[in-house]
Amino acid sequence: MEALNAFIVSIQAVWNDSGFSAFTMGNGIMILVGLLLIYMAFVKEFEPLLLGPIAFGCILANFPNTGFFGEEMNVMKAINFGITNEIFPPLIFLGIGAMTDFSPLLARPSTLLLGAAAQIGVFVALGGAMLVGFDVHEAAAIGIIGGADGPTSIYLSTKLAPHLLGAIAVAAYSYMSLVPLIQPPIMKLMTTQAEREIVMKELRPVTKFERVVFPIASTIFISLLLPPIAALLGCLMLGNLFRESGVTDRLSDTAQNSLINIVTIFLGTGTGMTMNANDFLRADTLLIIALGLVAFMGGTAGGLIFGKIMCRFTNGAINPLIGSAGVSAVPMAARVSQLVGMKSKPGNYLLMHAMGPNVAGVIGTAVAAGTMLAMLK
Amino acid sequence: MEHATVTTNPLIIMMINMTVVFIVLVSLIFVIKFIHFIDPTKQPAEPEVEEAPPTPVQPAPQPAPVIEEGVSPEIIAAISAAITAYGFSGQIKAVRIINHESTPWRASARFNNLQRK
Repeated sequence: MEALNAFIVSIQAVWNDSGFSAFTMGNGIMILVGLLLIYMAFVKEFEPLLLGPIAFGCILANFPNTGFFGEEMNVMKAINFGITNEIFPPLIFLGIGAMTDFSPLLARPSTLLLGAAAQIGVFVALGGAMLVGFDVHEAAAIGIIGGADGPTSIYLSTKLAPHLLGAIAVAAYSYMSLVPLIQPPIMKLMTTQAEREIVMKELRPVTKFERVVFPIASTIFISLLLPPIAALLGCLMLGNLFRESGVTDRLSDTAQNSLINIVTIFLGTGTGMTMNANDFLRADTLLIIALGLVAFMGGTAGGLIFGKIMCRFTNGAINPLIGSAGVSAVPMAARVSQLVGMKSKPGNYLLMHAMGPNVAGVIGTAVAAGTMLAMLK
Repeated sequence: MEHATVTTNPLIIMMINMTVVFIVLVSLIFVIKFIHFIDPTKQPAEPEVEEAPPTPVQPAPQPAPVIEEGVSPEIIAAISAAITAYGFSGQIKAVRIINHESTPWRASARFNNLQRK
């Protein structure tokens, strides 16, 4: 009899400590959301490198009684520390910098204007978010989805609206993967056949001196002007300096391979871990996803409109299609400009020309984030 | 340093932020132009040659590139970008898939032929 009692008490203890005893309908829905994201990442290949860890983190976050965020330090808490203290986004930027070639931008610096114009989507979404009831900090964090830059979105969200981080990160990375579907109809709607057929002049060669001095000079200039983004921009340009200096190949290789891969795993999993049922299953999440789409479309339209203006002012030297690459999403947005241009005129290769506004968009989104931080924090 | 939010009017926030973004990026254009200006390694600009008067002869229309089946637009884009990166201009005339089962001698001959072009 005593043995039976001990057995029953033990079974009860195991049940009480198990996740099943505290499992809610919300947890179940979020695990299904995680499974859907896994399907999108690994079967449909929508940004699998980031959406994969985010999806798995989402599933992990919805197991009750794991103690992930309790008093004791554990690996999940350490990963979360990297997210909430803005450690991972600048490290991702270090790797992105080491992979980025700024030559098309240096050869034609006027394309920075397209990177600036594409930020209109950020501010359209900010206005829209405030109109539907989000406060100004939440609206700024939602708006940055339009920059199509995942690390910057996460960076700004953790500073201005950490409770919305999961929804914002999922919206940002989902729309980034959908760039080839979202942008072409807008590009065709806003440009004429003649504009799409414009063949752009070959870019001038860029010297090593320019490629080495640019990351240093731009870091000094922008970091002095907007200190809140010094970590993001500084890491981006440091990575680029590793690449361009020609004497730090090992550092460049580490930044663009091992480091960025490791940090991507942590950033994705940590972001997914913020998607617990209590924070995610709200009407606000649907609004954020809808506003993110508005931001993306607004950014694409802003870049195209400015591309048309530049086309007019340069007597047709600029193909407006490269304007849509002003939303960051490197290099996907530039590839979309290339594909739409090629469909309009076979043999018209816009890829190198579109890389200028594309990398300008990365700087533009960081500047937009820095401006909002300086103004709102 | 934290300070009180200046305004909560969405329109004013939009206008201020867009203005700042444009000012910063336009300033960056001048930074890039300044770097190019002080670049001690840049090649001196070639004197512009006066253009010859237009000839009445109509230029031959550019033929569409011959793309072999199975070559995707992404591959064409990558080839084009690589050619541009090496400083060549012009239009791709044809893209053909080379038989990988070719002998090394044949590959060498093809390479030499390309080098001569």
